[in-house]
Amino acid sequence: MANPHAPDPERVARVTSAFTANADGSEHSLCASSADVAAVDGAGVVLILHGRALGTVCSSNAIVEAVEEVQYSLGEGPCLEAFATRAPVLIPDLAARDVVRWPGFRDGALAIGVRAAFGFPILVGSVCIGALSLYQRQSGPLNDEQFADALAVAHVTGRTVLDWQSIAGDGSLARQLEHLPANRAVVHQATGKISVQTSESVDDALALLRAYAFSSNRPINDVAADVVRGALLFGARPPR
Amino acid sequence: MPHQQRLVETLVELADTLVAEYDVIDFMQTLAERSVELVDVSAAGIMLADGAGRLHHAACSSEQMRLVELFELQVEQGPCFDAFREERAVRSDTPDDAARRWPEFAPQAREGGFAAVTAVPLRLRQDGVGALNLFSTADGALDDEDLQIAQALADIATIGILQARLIRDQNVLTNQLETALSSRVGIEQAKGVVAERNTIDVDEAFVLIRRFARNTNRLLSETATGIVDGSLTDQFLAETGSDTPAS
Repeated sequence: MANPHAPDPERVARVTSAFTANADGSEHSLCASSADVAAVDGAGVVLILHGRALGTVCSSNAIVEAVEEVQYSLGEGPCLEAFATRAPVLIPDLAARDVVRWPGFRDGALAIGVRAAFGFPILVGSVCIGALSLYQRQSGPLNDEQFADALAVAHVTGRTVLDWQSIAGDGSLARQLEHLPANRAVVHQATGKISVQTSESVDDALALLRAYAFSSNRPINDVAADVVRGALLFGARPPR
Repeated sequence: MPHQQRLVETLVELADTLVAEYDVIDFMQTLAERSVELVDVSAAGIMLADGAGRLHHAACSSEQMRLVELFELQVEQGPCFDAFREERAVRSDTPDDAARRWPEFAPQAREGGFAAVTAVPLRLRQDGVGALNLFSTADGALDDEDLQIAQALADIATIGILQARLIRDQNVLTNQLETALSSRVGIEQAKGVVAERNTIDVDEAFVLIRRFARNTNRLLSETATGIVDGSLTDQFLAETGSDTPAS
């Protein structure tokens, strides 16, 4: 099954050189290079496997970090859609009237000062392992060069993540990705507790947690922490 | 000289397999059989190198050929070895010539009824992947034109093999990532489940989970999955019920 958005090899070679020149082995240089090469205000990389968002690998600045937090908290946004459709998702103006998808993400991103959002699936072979987000403070589409570069950046990002894992070896997690499970441990613990409190699956429990975080306008990790320390209960406890 | 049509059909057939998912062994078999049709030889065989650079038999067009190739591997001498190591085509026109160059291998080839042998390397830039053996029962190895065709077939085969390996390696790494990350998620979820059920904190819950895993000789990740999906709930309660502190 050929990929209709396969980046051209010459561009991939050029982007690879640029990434290698700036690489310091950390995930931070990955995002910095991504934003740089695509010539955008901000870039973020998210790992998604088996439909489950596993976390942000890196964000090129604090604004991107905040927007990725919104995306994770709500479980909606350009990254997740790019992953689901395995195709680029291009929103040149989040404030435009015809942007009806992800109202929560849209409002959150606009409030942070992001006006345009673009998501690109990260494909290695035929497997999608996540997505690359590109953000702009001003509205406007990516030009042809930026679009083509973004496809190449997504490709090189995927290869880089796999390279990191190949160094770590079987049974270990790449050190550049160690922060992913750690950052959201409290969220997963909370979903475990909520699943028991409500007799729901952990996936449904996560949806409940997200909905509560959205409606109370609080960061999901804070709400999760309250759940974990018993300060916040969902539904009735089962009788002992 | 092969019919143009047949040659083109073969190249298309081989190129098609590069796009679709395919079985490398089947691909090699096809290549061996088509080689015999397209160039003036009696039998063809393919050897592939493993990670350590040792050649192994991959496919061939006849049983007779297979026996000779297996022998070649045993004595580690012969046209395939030379083509692979020296990264160039190797030709031997007569049994006497073969006997001079490969004294151990040559008698076995003769026994198999083969008089002339040709071998071309399977390689792409720095990657040496193996070699293609082409044997004839009559004297006279491949002429230049047939040699070019043989090398073209070998080149396509090499691309196919390297592509298949790349995909396999990528899948291995993707699975490692998925396993490592999913198992952490599962363990945290299980801590929450056990903490809630037993009215303890998540650290105490983790102690119980680890103890259970040890006592029942299970992996931590497996235990976590079973706690979260409910399949180990009863067993876990039975094992750890008496350990829960009074709330």
